[in-house]
Formats: sequence, C-alpha cells, structure tokens
Amino acid sequence: MWEVTTAKMAASSAAGRVLTLCKQFQNVLRISSAINPQHCTANITKYQAHVYREKSPLVAVPFWYSPSSSAGQCRALHTTISRRGLEEFFDLPENWGEATVKSGAPWTAKQLRTKSNEDLHKLWYVLLKEKNMLLTIEQEARRQRAQMPSPERLRKVERSIIRLETTVKERETALRLLQTGQEKGRPGTWRRNMFGYVYWYRFKEYAIPWYMNKRYKRKRFYTPAFVQPHIRLRIEKHLRDKARKANREKETLMKLKKKLPHIKVPAS
Amino acid sequence: MPVTRLLYPLYQLGNPQLRIFRPNWFLTLVRPGREQPPDTAQFRIPMEMTKYDVKNYLEKIYNVPVGAVRTRIQFGSNKKRNHLNQKVKQPDYKVAYVQLAQGQTFTFPDIYPEKDQVVAEGSMEEMQEKFMEDEKQRQKLDPRRGGVTEWFGL
Repeated sequence: MWEVTTAKMAASSAAGRVLTLCKQFQNVLRISSAINPQHCTANITKYQAHVYREKSPLVAVPFWYSPSSSAGQCRALHTTISRRGLEEFFDLPENWGEATVKSGAPWTAKQLRTKSNEDLHKLWYVLLKEKNMLLTIEQEARRQRAQMPSPERLRKVERSIIRLETTVKERETALRLLQTGQEKGRPGTWRRNMFGYVYWYRFKEYAIPWYMNKRYKRKRFYTPAFVQPHIRLRIEKHLRDKARKANREKETLMKLKKKLPHIKVPAS
Repeated sequence: MPVTRLLYPLYQLGNPQLRIFRPNWFLTLVRPGREQPPDTAQFRIPMEMTKYDVKNYLEKIYNVPVGAVRTRIQFGSNKKRNHLNQKVKQPDYKVAYVQLAQGQTFTFPDIYPEKDQVVAEGSMEEMQEKFMEDEKQRQKLDPRRGGVTEWFGL
C-alpha cells in the first residue's frame, strides 16, 4: 500500500550533494558553537538541520528505509538514518525538560520549487515525522500540565507542509496541461439543474454504466419548460433588489450631505 | 491542513492495491491511561485510518515491527455547556493499541523531567523571583507573636 522511496542517486550527483552538505554542516557547527555553548539542535525543516540532528555529515537527504538493493551503489557514501523506531515520536533526549528548543524557519515555496520531485517526496516524510513528534509532545504537555517547549514549531511545520503541497500541485497541473490540456485534475462539465441554475458538475467514477445506474438516472440535469417564467421572475427580483440597495445607499448619502455639507463623497 | 481532495479510483476485484503518496495522516503517541502490557503502544489516529493503515504506516515509515493492532473510537464528551447553555461537543478520536512484534517493549518516557533552571543574572525572571520572595517575607506573621492571630491583642 505504501510507496517506499528507494533512493537512487547517480554517484556523481550524490558526491556533489554530499560536498555541499558538508559545507552546510560546517556552517551549522560554526553558528551553533558561536551562539550557544549549550547543545542546541536546529530542529525542523532544513536538510542541514537534519544532518546535524543525525550527527553525521554524510547523510545527504533523509534516506528512507529501503528493503535492500538499489542503494548498493552509494553504500560507501551513505549512512542511513538512525533507526530509532518509536523513539522518533519524541524529541532528542537532550531537549527533554528544556524551556525552549531552537528551530529554523519554515520552508518557503520558492525554496521548494528548486527541489526535485524525489527530494520533495523525502521532505514530506521528514515533515510528517516532525509533526508527529510535535503532536506527541504537545499532547504529553497537556497531560502533564507542563509548558510545551517552543510550540511555534508546530505552526512552522504545518506551513512547510502546505507549501510543499502547493508546489507539488503546481507541478502536477503543469504536467497535466502539457499532456492533456486539462487544467483540472478531475474532469467535469457545466450542467443545468431543475431550477435553471448552471453549475460545474464534477465527474465521478461509477462501478456500472450510467444506463444501468438507477440512482444516476434519477438525477435531472435539465430545466423543464414551465420553469422558464420563474427564472425570469427570479432575475427580476434580483435586479429589483439590486436597484433598491443602490437607491438606499444614494439616499443615505444625500441625507448625510444635507446634514454635513462639507462631507467627502466616497469613491464608487 | 493540506487540502488536496484526492479521489481514489474505484476499487474492483483484481485491481492493483491503492497506493498513497504523501500521506497526510498524523499519529500521536500517547501515554496510556490504563496500564498496558509492556509491548503495547497507544496512539491517537485519524478517524479514516484502519488497522491495516496503522500497521503499514508504522512499518514503512517508522520501521517498527508491528504484531497486532486494535482500535476503538473514543467518544468525546458533549456534557459541557457554553454560556448560551448549548451543548458543546469535544471531537471524537480513534485510539489504536499497537502490539509490537519481535519481543520489543515500549514504555512511555518521562519527557518533561524536573530540571533546576539556572536564572540569568539581571534578567526579568530573576527580578520576578526576587519580588515574589520579598512579598512572601512581608506576608509572614511576626515570629515573636508565636502564631497568635493578628486581630488578637492590642
């Protein structure tokens, strides 16, 4: 049921990425040692943060559990993430009982657009785990009547997740437009109903053809002839309402003008 | 949360299994209210998740060997009333009891241990603490009175 990502990377690109990550790792180390002597962990949302978390410069991107094979070529380069199992539902033990935990900024859509699909897929799972962890901590804090350390992290992760989602959606739409010319993922048409309204009807999958489907055939996607005068009446009513509203506004304005001659007339 | 309305294809016998990319299900590991066997972990899961989903989720994403999963739905109380005397419903949630395989055990750790905080010199907290101490000292009764109440005596 689950699509497990198998990280396949060309050796050259992997090497390049590892190099850049090493640099980032150095940066993180320098910053953290300069700012804070205490062991701080930049928690969310950045690869570099993640790298620091695992305390290994060689983890390129969070590397998912792959059931053997396909990682053979980059085995020399990678160390897989530490398999902490259920411990991953909790923060690092160093952060237990701390008042605040340092965290970075959420991912922006701009940053995410530069990533490959594969990276985004992996990042989704990083964010998912992070959010699970934060939810667990939050619930436990509620239970112990304690303060959750840095609750703003939850918001940050949620934002990153939403942005990731939008990025992926953009890509899907672009691809669909190229391949099929359809803007929407779910096809549909404009249909009219019994009362003469026209609306966007989204298609749905049925197990049997429509002419056998009694429930579908019961639906009426047409406007009977005797509804026509009522449609006209409805339009009339709408127009009259609109005119009345405009009149009312005009009158109030006139009254105000009489009362306060120097009033400024609002635009529109 | 992400608002992708995914419409999965209708499943018919013989079709391939449905796959989920980017699942937006979030689990919460909670401390069990009643005592559980040592190999059981308790989760709060979304209503739509099934036992098989939980098993796959933990095995594939967290790499945790799962033996058995039992679920139940916790009724959220609707006894409370608001200021208009209307009933207020707490949301229901699903609870999953996950039994770990391969003889693994799990105990919920104490993630909020009491840590004595070192208060920084000249900070707001220190001043507050000092103020509170002074107030306490002031509120104390005179020890020479030997615990006799204030209103008694001249």
